[in-house]
Amino acid sequence: MKITLINGSPKVKSSASGALIEDFKGYLGEKAEVVEVGFHTTTLTKEVIEEMSKTEAWVFVYPLYVDGIPGHLLSCLVQLEQACLQNPQIHIYGIVNCGFYEGVQAELSLKILQNWSLKAGFVWGGGVGIGGGGGLAMMPKLEPGHGPKAPIDKALQGLSETVLKKVVHENCYVSVAFPRSLYRMGAQSGWRQMIKANGGTAKDLSKIPE
Amino acid sequence: MKLIITDINNFNIPVEGEYKLINPQGDIHHCVGCFGCWVKTPGKCVIHDGYEGTGTDMGKCTELILISRCCYGSVSPFVKMVQDRAISYIHPDFVIRKGEMHHKRRYKNMITLSAYFYGEDITETEKETAINVLKANVENYDGLIGDVYFYKTLEELRGVTL
Repeated sequence: MKITLINGSPKVKSSASGALIEDFKGYLGEKAEVVEVGFHTTTLTKEVIEEMSKTEAWVFVYPLYVDGIPGHLLSCLVQLEQACLQNPQIHIYGIVNCGFYEGVQAELSLKILQNWSLKAGFVWGGGVGIGGGGGLAMMPKLEPGHGPKAPIDKALQGLSETVLKKVVHENCYVSVAFPRSLYRMGAQSGWRQMIKANGGTAKDLSKIPE
Repeated sequence: MKLIITDINNFNIPVEGEYKLINPQGDIHHCVGCFGCWVKTPGKCVIHDGYEGTGTDMGKCTELILISRCCYGSVSPFVKMVQDRAISYIHPDFVIRKGEMHHKRRYKNMITLSAYFYGEDITETEKETAINVLKANVENYDGLIGDVYFYKTLEELRGVTL
């Protein structure tokens, strides 16, 4: 079986989507041939579309942007619909990472991806919404199923089995395994470190520009 | 002030009162996820292509009106890229509202968000998704939901006054 893993982050390197793709590949193991493509900008080449059309499942991995799909990725989806592949043999899956703690905040984004897959003539296979994705790219690599990523590992493993069987998976929503209050504190302390590194102060985070 | 974000190039829909229009005027760069609008130049996007000030414009408006082709229950790529580039309207810190994590306010203004979608073949599911996405946007902007309309063609929309 040939599967396309699509990195839908605008970042070419060090993205949470990239980290999730690495984990997901581990669950697929040798059971599938994987094609990796990056949808980091607004347009796709004919070669990428051609390569994808030869695979049986497409797994979109991307960040949640303003309750939906990032604009550049949406532009790629429009292009893919216009390519008129209309292939009911291709199953579509989604993995969405949210900066918010609750994975369920990715529900509408997955719904948009599902609506797209139907309109473009593919089969919707289901997805996973991951909450607390803000720290994923920085998390230490632990044994699967251990540490704060344990619920995410379980969800990714479940989805990988679904993809390999080319069946339909009900969307599932998970969060990192540590308290929301700590996640919030960690994120907010991160913003303060970042603004200080840029020569500002914590107070500047609340600036109202002219 | 009304802030209108639309993908219509030749915008000629009548608008009552003061307004600002953001429509395609040269290429827009997509959000690159750098968070510079929160931690480098708070309140403004760091990409200088003419679309960097939408967050500040949102801070001055009372009505935010999206006029967009409906793409699978989402706004179109152009309108979405403008929205993505305007997250500086909100503050990076988090608050809990209705049991869910959202961002804190940066501004005091209360935005009423309304939308005019167009498209030949918008399905009922896509309409439902679009309405729910706008409701979710309102939760994140800590604003109010206005009216949401769907039209088959742009011509139908030209009879509307905003």
